[in-house]
Amino acid sequence: MISGYLDGLEMVMQLGTLLAIAAGTLLGIIMGALPGLTSAMAIALLLPVTFGMPPVMGIGMMLGALCGAGASGSIPAILLNIPGTPSSVATTFDGFPMAQKGEAGRALGLAIVASFFGGVASMVILSLLAPPIAEFALRFGAAEYFSLSIFGLVIIASVAGKSLLKGLIAGLIGFFASTIGTDPITGVDRFTFGQLSLLTGINLLPALIGLFAVAQVLKDAFEYDPHQRVQGNTPRIDIARPRFAETLRHWKAVVAGVASGSIVGPVPGAGGSIASLVAYDQTRRFSRSPEKFGTGHAPGIISVESANNALLGGALIPTLALGIPGEAATAVLLGGLMIQGITPGPLLFDGQSGTVYGIFIAYLVANVFMLLIMCLGIKLFIRVLMVPRKQLLAAILVFCFIGVYGVDGDVFNLYLMLGFGILGYFLNRYQFGTAPVILGLILGPIAESNLRRGLQAFEGDWTPFFTRPISVTFLVIAVGLLVLTLWQNHRSSRNPQATSSGEA
Amino acid sequence: MQRDIGKPLFDLVLLIASAAAFALSTTLQNVEIAGDLSPSFFPRLISGLIFLFAVPCLIKDIREWRAAGASDVAEERPGSARGLVQWGLIVALTVGYILIFEALGYIPSTALFAFCSVIGLAIVSGTWQELSPMKRLKSVLMAAVFAVILAIAIFYVFTELFEIPLPD
Repeated sequence: MISGYLDGLEMVMQLGTLLAIAAGTLLGIIMGALPGLTSAMAIALLLPVTFGMPPVMGIGMMLGALCGAGASGSIPAILLNIPGTPSSVATTFDGFPMAQKGEAGRALGLAIVASFFGGVASMVILSLLAPPIAEFALRFGAAEYFSLSIFGLVIIASVAGKSLLKGLIAGLIGFFASTIGTDPITGVDRFTFGQLSLLTGINLLPALIGLFAVAQVLKDAFEYDPHQRVQGNTPRIDIARPRFAETLRHWKAVVAGVASGSIVGPVPGAGGSIASLVAYDQTRRFSRSPEKFGTGHAPGIISVESANNALLGGALIPTLALGIPGEAATAVLLGGLMIQGITPGPLLFDGQSGTVYGIFIAYLVANVFMLLIMCLGIKLFIRVLMVPRKQLLAAILVFCFIGVYGVDGDVFNLYLMLGFGILGYFLNRYQFGTAPVILGLILGPIAESNLRRGLQAFEGDWTPFFTRPISVTFLVIAVGLLVLTLWQNHRSSRNPQATSSGEA
Repeated sequence: MQRDIGKPLFDLVLLIASAAAFALSTTLQNVEIAGDLSPSFFPRLISGLIFLFAVPCLIKDIREWRAAGASDVAEERPGSARGLVQWGLIVALTVGYILIFEALGYIPSTALFAFCSVIGLAIVSGTWQELSPMKRLKSVLMAAVFAVILAIAIFYVFTELFEIPLPD
């Protein structure tokens, strides 16, 4: 383990890697500060840039974007009462009232330091929990991998879409897309229609950029309203210096944030808004002055922001140890890892421990850069909010375009990117979600190849898939989750009827 | 409740597409390997499941659409006509960009795409009509400068810094 950390440290502590992490963090901060743009989009845009980089450098850059976007959502939340990311909703509760009192700098300083503490704590938890989980997963064979893939697909489908069926449909669309190309066992062409670019299957990069960047640009283009500009009357920033002492004085709020972020983070699909709301609620519940919450109270900001960044480290646990991401941003990160030639899961911990520990250290370094860049550039990032949308949309599309084309110079991939962008736009608009599509694309081949490999090994017998203990456990949990989600959907659809009949 | 015919229409598209995918799956070449599944097994299973799941979604969305009531027709997705044109413009420009990208080379095609996106969005969103002739000229110049700087800056970042070749 120590030698793993030393190897990882050597990979991270190189000028190129440090610069890449800093650049990724900067881009993440800018994207997180702009309402409507997401950390998933930031990572998707970085994918082509990281293509030729060594793994730890490329992944460090993406982790920087994840970390930066997680923290900078607080900027518009505090200054404009508009959450930059869904997980910053609870930051508005106390951040905006504090800014209105003329203490915007204090609110931002608290948010930055709390994000840093949350991120560092979650890195420690990640490095402690991920290796034993991965070690356990070394026992997995074909049957277990098949069941794990189904489990992962069901779990994200049940939480990503508005309804279970819609989430499942989105996951199945990705699964179907993963069957396009040459069948790995028999060599039969499936749905290639003579297109050479499809022989090796759907390229992950245009799919990721299409679903998470182009789809978002199309949504922004649809909603673009030139008369709806960010007002220039943002509160004056006093001094946005980091508030270490004040944050530490409210250590209980930090602990509440770290605890809820670390617990909620590994639960696939639970998401940042849940972690931050739980942290906020718990901090208020145990506070001696709960009445101050909502009026610009420091612990309110600290708990929420520490939970937001603690969540990211937690979400990386199943992503790295099992190859099952928790939500959209980690799904894109998983895609990025695979493009880098790294297959997350137990074998990664077994065979490339230096890379794994390098990833942990890179995540820690990203948090340090986030702290430094946010403190030094806060006034600049506030100006980012004023960037005209028309120019921004055009620039993002050009970046997507060059990213996809630049990797292999195949124009077909540009059409594929646009196709996935249009599909992603409609999937988001009609509440199917796009994260399950990526999961389907990634987990589909794992599920199919392991089922077929397993069947060959078991001479066509299906029973081992349902009798081996780990395999059956995953399948039972997946079925249990399906039943639970269906029951919850049924209950929530009955409640409005009950209300309306009561009113009548 | 807001009326949006797009929801059931999208479900219908999914239904038709999954049926078509199922039909195509049945035409895949069948190769027998002992203990293995045929190459068409997963495509057939997945497209069949999408079809099965899309049916209740379609029924539910049609019910919701009908329940929203004909009286809400006027309120149907406020601003959607303008939004649709803006959306269509960006899609059309992107297709155009793909078509001219290799023929014209990176810098001219990118500059043209960025310029058309900025001015096109101003025109279809209605801001163009509110501008005086002088301000229109200024907008055109600003858009042209933005487009050229964007194209050249990205070209140098990708080709020089990341050594990714782009068409000349």
